[in-house]
Amino acid sequence: MDISSVQKLCIHLISSAVQRCRLSEGLCRLSVVLKSSPPIIRVSISDTGTGSCLEEFQDLKCNREGIGTEKWDGLLSIKTTSISDNKIYHYHLNLRGSVSARRLTRLPSIPKNDAKFSGTEVCLSISETIDALLKDIKHYFQKMLILKIPSVAAELVIERGDASGLRCENVFLPNECSPLNFSSSNVERLKSGLEEYVLKHRNSLNNKCDSCFCSREKLKISSGVASSMESHRSPGLIVEAVIAISELSESLCFRSSGNKTEVLHFKDFSPSSVSIASLNALTSIDWRSYGLTLVSAVDQVDHALIEWESLPPYLHIDMVIHCYHKQYPGKYKYQPDRHLIKKGVKLALDDLKEKHTGLLLSAHAVKICSYAPDLASSIAGIILSSNDLKFRSKCSTLLELSQSQAIGKQTVEDRIKEKIISVIETNDRKPEKIKEAAPFLFEDDRPQDLDPADLYLEEHAGGDNVFSFPD
Amino acid sequence: MDDLSKSSMKFFSDQQLCFADILLPHEVQARIQVAVLNFLKILSSPDPAISDLPLINRKSSNSRVSEGILTDVSWIFLSHSFCSRSLMKANATKAFIRVWKVMEMCFEFLTQEKRVTQRELFYKLLCDSPHYFSSQLQVNRTIQDVVALLRCSRYSLGIMASSKGLVAGRILLQEPNQEAVDCSACGSSGYAISGDLNLLESLIMKTDARYIVVVEKHAIFQRLAEDHVFNQIPSILLTAKGYPDIATRFLLHRMSRAFPDLPILALVDWNPAGLAILSTYKFGSIGMGLEAYRYACNVKWLGLRGDDLQLIPQQSLAPLKPRDLQIARSLISSTTLQDNYRQELAVMMQSGQRAEIEALYFNGYDYLGKYLAKKIVQANYI
Repeated sequence: MDISSVQKLCIHLISSAVQRCRLSEGLCRLSVVLKSSPPIIRVSISDTGTGSCLEEFQDLKCNREGIGTEKWDGLLSIKTTSISDNKIYHYHLNLRGSVSARRLTRLPSIPKNDAKFSGTEVCLSISETIDALLKDIKHYFQKMLILKIPSVAAELVIERGDASGLRCENVFLPNECSPLNFSSSNVERLKSGLEEYVLKHRNSLNNKCDSCFCSREKLKISSGVASSMESHRSPGLIVEAVIAISELSESLCFRSSGNKTEVLHFKDFSPSSVSIASLNALTSIDWRSYGLTLVSAVDQVDHALIEWESLPPYLHIDMVIHCYHKQYPGKYKYQPDRHLIKKGVKLALDDLKEKHTGLLLSAHAVKICSYAPDLASSIAGIILSSNDLKFRSKCSTLLELSQSQAIGKQTVEDRIKEKIISVIETNDRKPEKIKEAAPFLFEDDRPQDLDPADLYLEEHAGGDNVFSFPD
Repeated sequence: MDDLSKSSMKFFSDQQLCFADILLPHEVQARIQVAVLNFLKILSSPDPAISDLPLINRKSSNSRVSEGILTDVSWIFLSHSFCSRSLMKANATKAFIRVWKVMEMCFEFLTQEKRVTQRELFYKLLCDSPHYFSSQLQVNRTIQDVVALLRCSRYSLGIMASSKGLVAGRILLQEPNQEAVDCSACGSSGYAISGDLNLLESLIMKTDARYIVVVEKHAIFQRLAEDHVFNQIPSILLTAKGYPDIATRFLLHRMSRAFPDLPILALVDWNPAGLAILSTYKFGSIGMGLEAYRYACNVKWLGLRGDDLQLIPQQSLAPLKPRDLQIARSLISSTTLQDNYRQELAVMMQSGQRAEIEALYFNGYDYLGKYLAKKIVQANYI
């Protein structure tokens, strides 16, 4: 793995630590300590996850173009032990060493004295401003919170070795805005994570914003999971997509980003860059059937940015896509699958549409709904200009209106309009194939040999009043 | 034996006939009310939907011909093929709503017991719902949709036919409680045929004419009326000033029933449009197929015909226009056209030329009357 900057190196080491924690059973602690004695920062990443194997670190490649020797000398000090080991192994690894044999130095192991624990500690010294490093690490942790990996408690400790001798701690624990239990599925956690992320205005606040999200209705969230079968050739992949739509009456807190959506990507429980497959998947979805028009989807390194043609001003869409192997650590090379990603996102969109009437109505449905008032007005007009009381009362019953005489045209019209719009919205949710032909107005109008005239005069059964033409 | 079996087939074919009933206002209102109730029932049902409107197809594919057995009258009628207007089809939404809007307006008129013309209806709809109605043609088509949906005649909806037609000649027409009008004394403008079918129905007619002459063009009608041609050969002149409207056809049909011994002769231009007009009087039309079949008459083609071309100068022949060819094509494909008419049409097409009745004036202004008289006396009509 190529490391191109010290920040990336640190993030990578932290990420590995997170994976080790995830794989172990039981609660784990992850600690990142930055001791700053300018210009050097001593970084120590320790976790109580499963023990690590050396290959993890030896695989790191550090080329001269990436991290300059003045930033990092290439030395990693590693202490690791697995639960079954009876000692703690200690190594020094020199990643800049030219001869592979001289890279690894084994140091004396530390006995465990029958204690049962596992963990790893990685230390390195870098020459970097603490703020630059801190920014990236904090950003990483905040993103990781979206995944809501259970059982990992992370803390970031900064010791500033300057005159003030300040020590501050940040603890990153998943906040329980919505209850999750230990056995929640990954996608449930992802949903909960994205929900929190959006409620905190994309992590710009520490707690959820109550003024914007005063009611549950303001945030609508749904998920879709697509998985592929395992075979000897390809690993079993799972794609989870979560979509959150927030309806804010006005951007009370800050200016919203308008017609854009950031699509966060995760790969194997770690924030990842955007793959071409993912961009292709996003552009190939038929957004029009959800009432949206995609203008562009671009890779912005740590997220994909989708620009929509026009969204209602109060509507905002957030999305997260997580692709991971069914089995971890994967022995296979990761191949993001465009179809799988597309399927996952579509499932999430359909789920959203299914659960919330009127949301993501296709452009077609919106257009038809715009005609509903006129149709309702015509029918209401017929009902109200009739002098037939029986007819009017039957209509009132069908429309679930009270039987009193004083029903105004507007009430009748509104009721009919409501029903028409609800039918259009319901039909819009059904996939194309299932949409049935609407019933005919006069059901008896099928080609048959019966005289149609008889079938109409049910109201006035007073026999044949047809004005016959004098023949 | 052959004839008998053919004739029994024709009775069965009558079952394919779809027709529009002629109803009283309250009956039409009842049908509209049933339409509304059905719509609301389906809208409020456990499996709600917005019902489609089933309309009888007004296309040639859905048209059939009934050929008269004992009479010489054949007619075109529409059968049970349906097309439907649906709210959900993107381009047809407005057409769907137009049908309901016209139904609403007709319902109002029927309640008020008013009658309106198509033109008045157009203006009212234009004011009410300008987004939906933009032309008279659209309104007319929508009215036909309502006719096809409710299966009642246009007149029953409260819509009066236009009054285009004129009558002149040896006939006395009397509206109830009015003075009888002598159409031979009406001058060149003749008696205007009302658009109110009820009124036409109630006219008392008396005649001593021997022929009924249906004239295509107003100018020719005026000429003949001025010259009192109907006195030279006792006849009744009738014109619809072009394409026949329901009211004129209604009256002609009444006359043909009241005076069955009078042959009905048509004087039209020698071009496909003229033949089309003749066909409409004779068989009815598909556009108003649910009603028009009632008023088919046995009209014979007097002139202009192919053999009259020798009477007119070469210069008066004009080339056929694309529209003429269009009309000719649809005439040829229609099943009702009899062989001798087809032959005439073929000659028209082959020569690529058309001629107007006015061309006869080359031989003098009074030639038209003489021509008419001669042809009638010679029974030179097909």
